[in-house]
Amino acid sequence: MTYLDWAATSPPDGAILADAALVAAANYGNPSSKHALGAAAKAALEDARGRLVRAVTAASAKGRIAFTGGGTESDAIPLLAVLRAALNAKRDGSIKRLHLVVAEIEHAAVYEEAQLLRSLGLGLTFVASESDGRLDPLKIGAAVERETALVAVMAVNNETGAVQPIAEIARSIAAAAAALGRAPPRLHVDAVQALGKVAFDPAASGASTAAYSAHKLRGPRGVGALWVAEALPGSGPLEPLSVGGGQEGARRPGTESLQGAWAFAAAAGAAASDFAQRVARARALEARLLSGLASIPGAQALPLGRTPGDERYSPFIVSSAFPGLSGEVLARALSDAGVAVSTGSACSGNLKRAGRRVLLAMGLPEELAASAIRVSTGDLSSESDIDSFLEAAGTAYRALKT
Amino acid sequence: MDALYLIKIGEILLKLGNRKEFVDRLRSDLNKRLESAGIPRKIEVFPGRYFATVPEERAAETELILSRTPGVNGYARATKTQKTVEAVLAASVEVAGSRIAAGKRSFKAESRRSDKSFPLGSFELSARIGQVVLEAFPESRVDLHRPEFTINAEIRERAYVFGDPEPGLRGLPAGSGGKGLLLLSGGIDSPVAGYMMARRGLALEAVYFHAYPYTSMEAQAKVVSLAKVVASFTGALSLWIVPFTETQLKIKKDAREDLTTLMMRAAMMRAAHLLAVRVGANCLVTGESLGQVSSQTAENLRLTQSLSDFPVLRPLVGMDKEDTILLAKKIGSFDISILPYEDCCVLFSPKHPLLKAKLERERASYEALGLEPLIADALQKAERIVLR
Repeated sequence: MTYLDWAATSPPDGAILADAALVAAANYGNPSSKHALGAAAKAALEDARGRLVRAVTAASAKGRIAFTGGGTESDAIPLLAVLRAALNAKRDGSIKRLHLVVAEIEHAAVYEEAQLLRSLGLGLTFVASESDGRLDPLKIGAAVERETALVAVMAVNNETGAVQPIAEIARSIAAAAAALGRAPPRLHVDAVQALGKVAFDPAASGASTAAYSAHKLRGPRGVGALWVAEALPGSGPLEPLSVGGGQEGARRPGTESLQGAWAFAAAAGAAASDFAQRVARARALEARLLSGLASIPGAQALPLGRTPGDERYSPFIVSSAFPGLSGEVLARALSDAGVAVSTGSACSGNLKRAGRRVLLAMGLPEELAASAIRVSTGDLSSESDIDSFLEAAGTAYRALKT
Repeated sequence: MDALYLIKIGEILLKLGNRKEFVDRLRSDLNKRLESAGIPRKIEVFPGRYFATVPEERAAETELILSRTPGVNGYARATKTQKTVEAVLAASVEVAGSRIAAGKRSFKAESRRSDKSFPLGSFELSARIGQVVLEAFPESRVDLHRPEFTINAEIRERAYVFGDPEPGLRGLPAGSGGKGLLLLSGGIDSPVAGYMMARRGLALEAVYFHAYPYTSMEAQAKVVSLAKVVASFTGALSLWIVPFTETQLKIKKDAREDLTTLMMRAAMMRAAHLLAVRVGANCLVTGESLGQVSSQTAENLRLTQSLSDFPVLRPLVGMDKEDTILLAKKIGSFDISILPYEDCCVLFSPKHPLLKAKLERERASYEALGLEPLIADALQKAERIVLR
């Protein structure tokens, strides 16, 4: 099978998994235990943490990492912390209603959680993206209100690959807050599709928190990380809604998975170490893919007019439209031809709008959005993978287009 | 231990001329259903009543089968006793005890006596039952008009005591109306249509038109699940999966846009007709309901009907969608039908479909498409799945 669905998940690196299993087996103590075995496990865990924090902060090692159960949980912790703050504030009577600003193109992990918080009584403003799939920092700033506690935007969109201007967004919301005579709200960044793929440093960008996942870069499932800035804006620490034994700086209670943490640190370290070459390779595949798409009559790259080498897009993710053929049907035909791609995010059957939220938020016509598929590459992808895709997609499109 | 069921049969008693045929058919159908579920059984036929004896541990499955077999009016767990007054009274107290334990209080007793040698008449027997139950359970009381439970005693070849019968499907035994071919889509209506015709004694085969890759394998799996629901009422069912992509693409390519849906329905009707001939069906069954969607106007039904000279039975034709949904929930197909997979119409969604076909003109449009070879080819490639 030609695998071009790396943004969904990546094939794990067997050597990294095996090494992590050995480390975890040798250091089986509970990192919270006070005996020597516990101390050894704790030392190994902190070693992994140190390596991961360097990998995500371009070696500046600023901020702290809390290991979590995955990207979704890493997104949920700062969002649910707002609920806890809101409940505290309500009890004090200090603030009537806390408010969130969330990009409409967010992954479901943020988008659905925000909707849940709204249903529980919090204020929520969604901000749409521009037609190029990127967010306008000024519009994010303009959505900030007096009682906005958190702004959530992603670093790289998982369907279009659009790289978001996080530093500008951070400046914009700080300016908007200053104009309101208040401290800036916290800024949470879902960076799941950025790690090892796009230069994004949460510390330098002014983020308060950032979410990561190991399995997107050849690590195992079931482990993620929440990066937390050294100094958080706003009042008080990040107080999670879920509490327990106080592990991971009390941000993610529960006995730590040394195996997961070790593997994540190794996978992220490997991705960081030859970052430049990997991105250059991905850019070459992107160029091959975009020029190949241009030669299929009718097919279009999304957003319309995307060109190779454009720094506004991750080279690892390319979305394209095949007008006149549902993306779901094309993905099915490609699967039969031995090529694995997605229609975008996890699609909810034929509820077309629900499955196409991100593209529709960019203002794409429904017809075009429904015909989209996402090709995503990774370290093991080759030029021949791209060629296989182009050939199969061209054939299927000609045969099935109506 | 064995469980004994008294089975009441209904409408077939009205069939004076060929009652024996109906009675035999129901008995053999029940036998077949229990057999294919692997349930050891003994079925006895008496005038107006069947008795089925099954192992106690298969009682729940047996009840599900009895509740879904057309021709069964009702059924009840029964106790067989010696034909003596004492034995019948003792069994009555036992039946009453389980109802009273379930919190019920008011009751009445009903007796039927076909064996006139039994020492008590039915009125006297009922009175005695009431008396012993009241004595055994002082908290109980008699209510002849709106009792919470009934104790039935029947004195026939043997004596039986039972509580309130569970309602059956009623209707006519499977196959007594011949065999129909059900056009099954993934929607809400067609499984309900199949259920309704199964109650009228129609054995069914079903046909599904699959447009892979436009419709997914998940959509096909959903139709198989729906066919299983229908099969639980018909007893068994063959599902024909007809690959229809080529036919649909031809229609999409050559038909005028506002006619595409209508032409597809006509082509499906034609294919169903040919399949019905092949499997020996005597009618077609659809879930169409007048005016429900634009393709289901009387004019358009006339056109699609013209592709087959079999009667096209449309049991939902006068039903409201809400009523159909209630029935779909009752038979257990609704939750399957609403699974979100595209149906076979996904290729066609003309913005302004033709509402009122003119028979001659649109029939000519259909003929001009020249679909017969494609339909014949599709039927040749059809796959059959047998569901029980």
